[in-house]
Amino acid sequence: MKNYDIHQHVQGKSIFIDDMRLPAGTLHAEIFTSNIAHGIITSIDTSAALASKGVVDIFSASDIPGENQVGGMIKDESLFAESEVHYVGQPILLVVAESKLEARKALSKIKIEYDKLKPILNPREAFIKGSLIAPPVTFELGNISAVWDECDFIEEGTVESGGQEHLYLETQAAAAIPHEGEKIKVYSSTQAPTATQRVVAGILGIPMNKVEVDVLRLGGGFGGKEDQASPFAAMAALAANKLNKPVKLVLNRQDDIRITGKRHPYSSDFKIGFSHEGKILAYEVKFFQNAGAAADLSMAVLERTLFHCTNSYFIPNVKATGISCKTNVPPNTAFRGFGGPQAMFVIESAIKKISEKLDVPAYMIQQKNLLREGDEFPYGQRAENCNAKKSWNEALSKFKYEERLQSINQFNLENKFLKKGIAVMPICFGISFTSTFMNQASALVHIYTDGSIGISTAAVEMGQGVNTKIRQIAAKIFSVDISIVKIESTNTTRNANSSPTAASSGADLNGKATELACLNIKERLLNSAKEILNADLSEIKIENGSIFVNEEKKLDWEELISKSFLKRVNLSSHAYYATPKIYFDKSKSKGNAFAYHVYGTAVVETTLDCLRGTYKINSVKAVHDFGESFSKTIDLGQAEGAIIQGIGWMTMEEICHDLNGRLLSNALSTYKIPDIHFTPDEFEVHFLEGAKNPMGIFNSKAIGEPPFMYGIGAYFAILDSMKAHNKNLDYDFKAPMTPERVLLTLSKNIKTKIHK
Amino acid sequence: MQMIAIEFNLNGILVKAEVNPGVRLIDFLRDEYGLTGTKEGCGIGECGACTIILDGKAVNSCLILACQIDGKEILTIEGLANSGELHRLQENFLKKGAVQCGFCTPGMIISAYSLLLLNPNPAEQEIREAIAGNLCRCTGYKQIISAIEESIVVNIEND
Repeated sequence: MKNYDIHQHVQGKSIFIDDMRLPAGTLHAEIFTSNIAHGIITSIDTSAALASKGVVDIFSASDIPGENQVGGMIKDESLFAESEVHYVGQPILLVVAESKLEARKALSKIKIEYDKLKPILNPREAFIKGSLIAPPVTFELGNISAVWDECDFIEEGTVESGGQEHLYLETQAAAAIPHEGEKIKVYSSTQAPTATQRVVAGILGIPMNKVEVDVLRLGGGFGGKEDQASPFAAMAALAANKLNKPVKLVLNRQDDIRITGKRHPYSSDFKIGFSHEGKILAYEVKFFQNAGAAADLSMAVLERTLFHCTNSYFIPNVKATGISCKTNVPPNTAFRGFGGPQAMFVIESAIKKISEKLDVPAYMIQQKNLLREGDEFPYGQRAENCNAKKSWNEALSKFKYEERLQSINQFNLENKFLKKGIAVMPICFGISFTSTFMNQASALVHIYTDGSIGISTAAVEMGQGVNTKIRQIAAKIFSVDISIVKIESTNTTRNANSSPTAASSGADLNGKATELACLNIKERLLNSAKEILNADLSEIKIENGSIFVNEEKKLDWEELISKSFLKRVNLSSHAYYATPKIYFDKSKSKGNAFAYHVYGTAVVETTLDCLRGTYKINSVKAVHDFGESFSKTIDLGQAEGAIIQGIGWMTMEEICHDLNGRLLSNALSTYKIPDIHFTPDEFEVHFLEGAKNPMGIFNSKAIGEPPFMYGIGAYFAILDSMKAHNKNLDYDFKAPMTPERVLLTLSKNIKTKIHK
Repeated sequence: MQMIAIEFNLNGILVKAEVNPGVRLIDFLRDEYGLTGTKEGCGIGECGACTIILDGKAVNSCLILACQIDGKEILTIEGLANSGELHRLQENFLKKGAVQCGFCTPGMIISAYSLLLLNPNPAEQEIREAIAGNLCRCTGYKQIISAIEESIVVNIEND
């Protein structure tokens, strides 16, 4: 099944916020931000900017009628800085003008002075200075302190992973239109309409029922619009409310990259104990998370790091501690994988250490420690319908791993400066929001009197195809053609109190709610048909848009609907779904946190030019656990896109700040994401057979995040290439593995030799 | 600011306009003609979301001034379908699942169209070369390559 939103997309007819035809007189806003990472504002002079042509007004914290607060989990983030600024790019003022250009010009006329303070940019430095978002969190399994003595070997190490810019192609955007009775309607490019509604209401100091948030679609989200779309909606709403005119705020790319948070960089320490045979007995890990200047979703991200600290391995004794460190960069936020990738990179690095110590290939260590049915995760849940070994075995045999290994070794013998590398990357990712209460959704289904169907859910379409999946679900349950099913915008007046479309759960939660609503109406329709046709319920069937009694066609769908309407049958249903059986006790860090897990195994091959440090990802092949996919084209597209994004994070995407906390990689000229040349020549994602998932809609599994983590395999394949060049390579576990880092690492080793 | 009078062909129609010499072509197309299929992704010619055809060649409309198009022919994504019938590239982008969020799609299709204009039978490497200036953050580009490849085959059959 294809993504149905795309018929508009290929013709350039899809409307994103910047494309909306807003009423005449709509004003345009631009944000004035801090250009230092830490300091106290001593003076601001806006007089020249206010006098600038076209400028209507300038807003600051003192113009906020409600509370100057946008923090979701912890109330520690203001919409506009009041006296202290905490990062470069922190919003201070909003300039509103008749045109975007005039607003932009006025920005340069604002004069500001600060008393500068020393910024903290490194999470370990923040930890030493006691600058934390919240107290550390620990997950424990077994008895780690008792087991070290039983280990044949113990290895320790440090692992660093970098941030990642979301680079959704559509930048953050909002348009606010005032309505009668102090109401406001906000169009926002948000993954979380309810959170945006709450933030807007809080800023304006009005109840939530006076704020309507509407989302048609997003030009990509990836987590970057889960918590961080709301401030921009609130800014547009603040100005629209005060000026009683529509206000539009669309960030340009440089502002977007500078102002918004990214994937959390992590610095981690591990200690791993294992036997002669490579069986892992104990794993202790400490994650220092760079949260940025405010909490945002950092504590939830950190928690998922702990949930996934052992990836798809069973380790009987684990102690994992996460420390969220407050620094002077923009508040880091949700990004596909949500802390999971950072955790998995550390355990894979630890396994690499084991393989070097025992002098056996890493895949043998990985294989020996894979999760089996019933194994316990560090949070107390047990692996059910565990596909770790199944996907591993299928991947290694399907992709002829041993043969590939031999041909790579042969190539490396024959080539001095070109070296091939290979790595296997298994994944295990839990599906459900780890905050249990968030696992709820609702759907509103109407059948109109002509038989056409309109559906509203809490899901936000951002390219992942959730609207197509919901259409499919309704079309299947009613057994009608998908063309008569339409998905409406996501709107807080139709689906209230919704969770963000995040955690890969959009189709699961909203699909299940849609299923329930459709089943409610279908039951009424069957009873209506029974009366209309004077038949037994057991004899009636709705199929392919027709109503049959004992296989004989009696009515068209449209006839059934119009007759049912005249019989006063309710043709609408609003249904609610909450994931059953999940719970998590935060005080003990134990519980069945996830509805299920997604598994899979990828094999990644690379070729490295050891003189230049440049490399090519030649091949990525995966056997992935999709459950029973009912939208194979969409799911494959999600998997491939996630893999490329994951490889980007591990290899070429590098966030750089200068020593003053100023972002250097602040545009697409300096921050590089994978382009079409980056796509591997061999790129295959296979469906794991027999992976039925009773907890998912139509036995499917969530797809958004899990394949991202196959990208970690690219790091280890490149490392393998480097070690083929120099078996005793001295290196650090540090990502991204840019060509620059490859070259510096290789040349560092050469120098060492010469000096000796 | 003195306005500049220009005449150009926009999606097959001759148009006369007066433009401010400082206005970028992307803003001119979007604001004056409502052609919002041409998207701004970066504003510095790196992402390709604003790609249009200027006299048969794909260009970034964020890097060109509106006054530079005097006497030239412009094709935007809105002009690609022929009286409601989708171009085969559009069909194949649909068929192959080459579209996710849709923001890069118009520019991507226009770049592919320009490639096929100049080289009706490109090899895979030539396709990659032609699309290298169009970034997509959702897909793994694989379906995009296959959608363009599929459009070549149809072309040969039709010829």
